[in-house]
Amino acid sequence: MNDYAIELSGVCKSYRFFNLQNIALRLQRGTTMGLIGPNGAGKSTTIRILMGLVHQDRGEVNVLGHCMPQEQVDAKWDIGFASDDMRLYETMTLGWHINFMKSMYPSWDDAYAHLLLKRFGLRAEQKIKGISHGQRVKAALLLVFARRPKLLVLDEPTTGLDPVARHEILRELTSVMVDEGRSVLFSSHNTQDVEQISDQITFIDRGRIIDSMDKEIYLDRWRRLRLEVPDGVALPRLPGVIGIQKTGRLAVAIANAFESHLPNAYENTGARVHAVENMTLEEIFVANVEHSREEVNA
Amino acid sequence: MKTNVILQLILKDWRLQSRMIILLTLAGAAALAFLPIGGKAIVIGTVFFFVAMMFCACLLPMQNIVNERKKQTLPFIMSLPVSSARYGAAKLISTTGMFLTSWLALLGAALFMILVRHTVPNGAIPMGMILMGFPLIGFCLVTGAALIGESEGWATGALAITNSSYWLVWFILVSHVPSLMQNSSSPVAVWSPAVFKILSVEFGIILLTLGLTMFLQSRKRNFI
Repeated sequence: MNDYAIELSGVCKSYRFFNLQNIALRLQRGTTMGLIGPNGAGKSTTIRILMGLVHQDRGEVNVLGHCMPQEQVDAKWDIGFASDDMRLYETMTLGWHINFMKSMYPSWDDAYAHLLLKRFGLRAEQKIKGISHGQRVKAALLLVFARRPKLLVLDEPTTGLDPVARHEILRELTSVMVDEGRSVLFSSHNTQDVEQISDQITFIDRGRIIDSMDKEIYLDRWRRLRLEVPDGVALPRLPGVIGIQKTGRLAVAIANAFESHLPNAYENTGARVHAVENMTLEEIFVANVEHSREEVNA
Repeated sequence: MKTNVILQLILKDWRLQSRMIILLTLAGAAALAFLPIGGKAIVIGTVFFFVAMMFCACLLPMQNIVNERKKQTLPFIMSLPVSSARYGAAKLISTTGMFLTSWLALLGAALFMILVRHTVPNGAIPMGMILMGFPLIGFCLVTGAALIGESEGWATGALAITNSSYWLVWFILVSHVPSLMQNSSSPVAVWSPAVFKILSVEFGIILLTLGLTMFLQSRKRNFI
């Protein structure tokens, strides 16, 4: 059996005003990957390609051991997919949707569905058109979770939700992930959500994957150094540092491959190191995107 | 054991659209109740009968296909174990099946009124059969445009073209085959070669439209 739940290599897709370029992505079975990118970065296109809904122009896509898009029907039995643009039938009740899914999936877990109804504060007899956006998202996720899929693909599921609803959904997602065999790909531009649940992080921007690695390694390798630079001292860009912003005598150096000797190295140039700070995932994301764009434009 | 997804999708569409189909079929059948009154009521009843059928031919593809994309329920359906070709097949079978059910029920009701209740002469049957082919062709064209065009614009365009063509096609037919109208008041149905030819052409257009729709749907590379 293939070790990867998702494997994309050399995937390209061209549209008139947007190109997905040479996407390579691997999600190990039993892990959770956060796919982070600004709006229009290519997150949804990548996800649609791996779901077989859009056919790639070039490259290989393998999901749960199935070649996509050719074997999408077999693959989708074990994939639970939800996206922010997904809607349920407004005129029907949630109970009708539950029965529809139950008739479709032999793996449907009725007890778990009822538990989720309670946890999410939903009622089966409610018509979809009468419930709030947050409840609709929860209803859609209930229909996905109760199928007990091997792979969850969630395309910005928390977009537009209030903090309480987001918390409820992330908590449920965390409990769903306790099953070690289950893999999750979670796309969002909200780095807080991704940071909370992901093992791996992939950054995507303008149709290209700009970085992909273990979350802890990311958080460990990225640092912000606050420096004071006396007059006459030229601040070099040391190895591992991707950018320096200078304002008068003060400077901020961003390192994407921080090593413990880096502060000493700066001290040796004549600068004074005031602080070495950890960066949040959001700060890493923004710095990474800006650095990637600078490299492309150079 | 894996479920027959196409069958489940067809059943789902029937559950969603059944109320509309029943209402329009009943409306068409109610229009036939005008026929025994005679005189101008026959014309009124016939017009309402065809209006109900044409309404169904327009509304069903819009509700069952266009709305699925417009109201964004398509991503939900496409998250199920189904490919675009199988989705297309399920949609075509369910939409056509629902329309044919209504169409056949109305055809049966009309034949009952003619053959059993003798409200209009039997000679009207061939002309009625040809006329009933029009909404069926219109339905197939709108369904094909809705499924392949993937937008309300294409479906509305097909609707506009078919609806405005009915009377033109009828005028051309009557001009070229005057016996159609002449034989309609005959006490027996006259199944002339011209009638068979027209019915064959109608049948051919229906098969061609449905076949082309399936073919184009199966070749799609981007579905959402």
